[in-house]
Amino acid sequence: MKDSIKPFIVLSGLLILWHALVVAFAMPAYILPGPLEVANSMVEHASLLWEHTLVTLSEMLLGLLLGVLLGIILALILVYFTALRPWLLPPLLITQAIPVFALAPILMLWFGYGLTSKVVMTILVIFFPVATCCYDGLRHTHQGWLDMAQTMGGNRFAILRHIRWPAALPALASGLRVAVVVAPIGAVVGEWVGSSAGLGYLMLQANARLWVDQMFAALTVLAFCSVTLYYTTDRLLRRLIPWQPETSQE
Amino acid sequence: MKKLIQYTVLWAMTLMLSFSLHASTSSRASDTESAKALKELTLMLEWFVNPDHGPIIIARENGYFEDLGLKVNIQEPADPNLPPKLVAAEQVDLAVYYQPSLTHAVANGLPLIWAGTLVGTPLDGLLVLEDGPIKSLNDMKGKTIGLNIGGIENAFLNTLFAPYGFGAGDVKLVNVGWNLSSSLMSGRVDAIMGAYRNFELNQLAIEGHKGRMFYYEENNIPPYDELIFIANSKKHDKDAIRRFLRAIELGTQYIVNNPEKSWAIFRDYSPKKLDNELNRRAWFATISRFDLRPAAKDTGRYQAFADYLQEHGELEETVNAVDFMITF
Repeated sequence: MKDSIKPFIVLSGLLILWHALVVAFAMPAYILPGPLEVANSMVEHASLLWEHTLVTLSEMLLGLLLGVLLGIILALILVYFTALRPWLLPPLLITQAIPVFALAPILMLWFGYGLTSKVVMTILVIFFPVATCCYDGLRHTHQGWLDMAQTMGGNRFAILRHIRWPAALPALASGLRVAVVVAPIGAVVGEWVGSSAGLGYLMLQANARLWVDQMFAALTVLAFCSVTLYYTTDRLLRRLIPWQPETSQE
Repeated sequence: MKKLIQYTVLWAMTLMLSFSLHASTSSRASDTESAKALKELTLMLEWFVNPDHGPIIIARENGYFEDLGLKVNIQEPADPNLPPKLVAAEQVDLAVYYQPSLTHAVANGLPLIWAGTLVGTPLDGLLVLEDGPIKSLNDMKGKTIGLNIGGIENAFLNTLFAPYGFGAGDVKLVNVGWNLSSSLMSGRVDAIMGAYRNFELNQLAIEGHKGRMFYYEENNIPPYDELIFIANSKKHDKDAIRRFLRAIELGTQYIVNNPEKSWAIFRDYSPKKLDNELNRRAWFATISRFDLRPAAKDTGRYQAFADYLQEHGELEETVNAVDFMITF
């Protein structure tokens, strides 16, 4: 069976289970609307959903781009400027120890209720997995390769470019996969705490008006975005880094 | 003679013992009876305990609930949108909720019913800083309003701005969650909605700012009850609710008659959380807002507000107040 079909089979199974649950327990729509009701709401509010999806997607993508860049830069600093390591690690850990939900209201006051605060939230959520994975990858380069490169007279930059970086890429790829999955959390938590647009804002509105089907419609779109983003990244990474272990096993 | 005395003493002791035994069993019996007779009610608040819940706490602390044969379990939610769903799902007996939101919920098919009033006036309003650029509602055009989404903003703003020839579409709405005061004080927004006159106005004052509030009911929006009790429309115990409301009524009366004493009782309910300057100020600012007749039903007023929401396109279905208000 083709791998690309499997997720659709799982998804269909989940939808059937959901429908069966709603029918079997005669669930009222305000507790759990059925998939048909949600689909109906998605069609009915298609343009509204699309408008807000674009906002959330742009927050996520911009946050991902900057967060990944920041994570990689940080990993490089940690590897090459060893003296800075003890100074950088504690604040890094603190940013991760504080739940984003607690930090979000303050970030909103600092950066305003627009795009910036959501991008900052997303960066905060994703830069750490990227940085740690990349750092681990860079640190654990095969010593034999490094010795050989030095014997052949390779300078620091050449060693990084031709040996350390390619060897670290599979580890970085794991970090990227995590980042892509958690990016929506950063964006939506940001919208939840302060926003005037986006899927999180739409969910809050629907929740306050008790439009549960519309809330589920927004959630479904968000889940769809996350899954698509994950699979696209995964495929891209497999193609760009053919030497990573996952690919070589198949 | 000696024997007679012995017999008499023995007889007296037996009599006393039997009396005391009888008394203790009967008192135990009455204890069990009263424990059995106490009807348990679960009440979910709409938010953490605060001075808005004054009559509930006073009724509990002064023993009014028990006097009326009730044991009320008070629960606090983290999300104000949760209680109506739990009442609809029969997970709790009563909940504190908002009149506008009840109208929404009923129009969306939730089996809910008004079961009494706690705070009988709006507490919300459009709040700006006194020394800010907004002196009248006319100055609001093009400005940013921070709010904690309640679901009726557009109707309210259209009504507030109608006399000046603009509407909700001419201002920018930003959801600021619970950061109402801080977003206003930091200048991130020009005005806030969802701020309570008894809380946020005092909070601003404590922080050294003065607020100016445009009261809804003074600006063409029909008056409504800020906080009400709701029950499941299909399954509720009328007799227990009636007794519950009587206890709330007694609580309100006590607060109105004894402002200082009642504040002390309320504060001591949970001193670590409640004993602070904001709550103290809010307590005295809320006294005049509590409904003195919590069981009094005003169908006409509720219908007028439902009609108002309907006219402004906020309700998907028409609702009749008689259908979602309890009859005792």
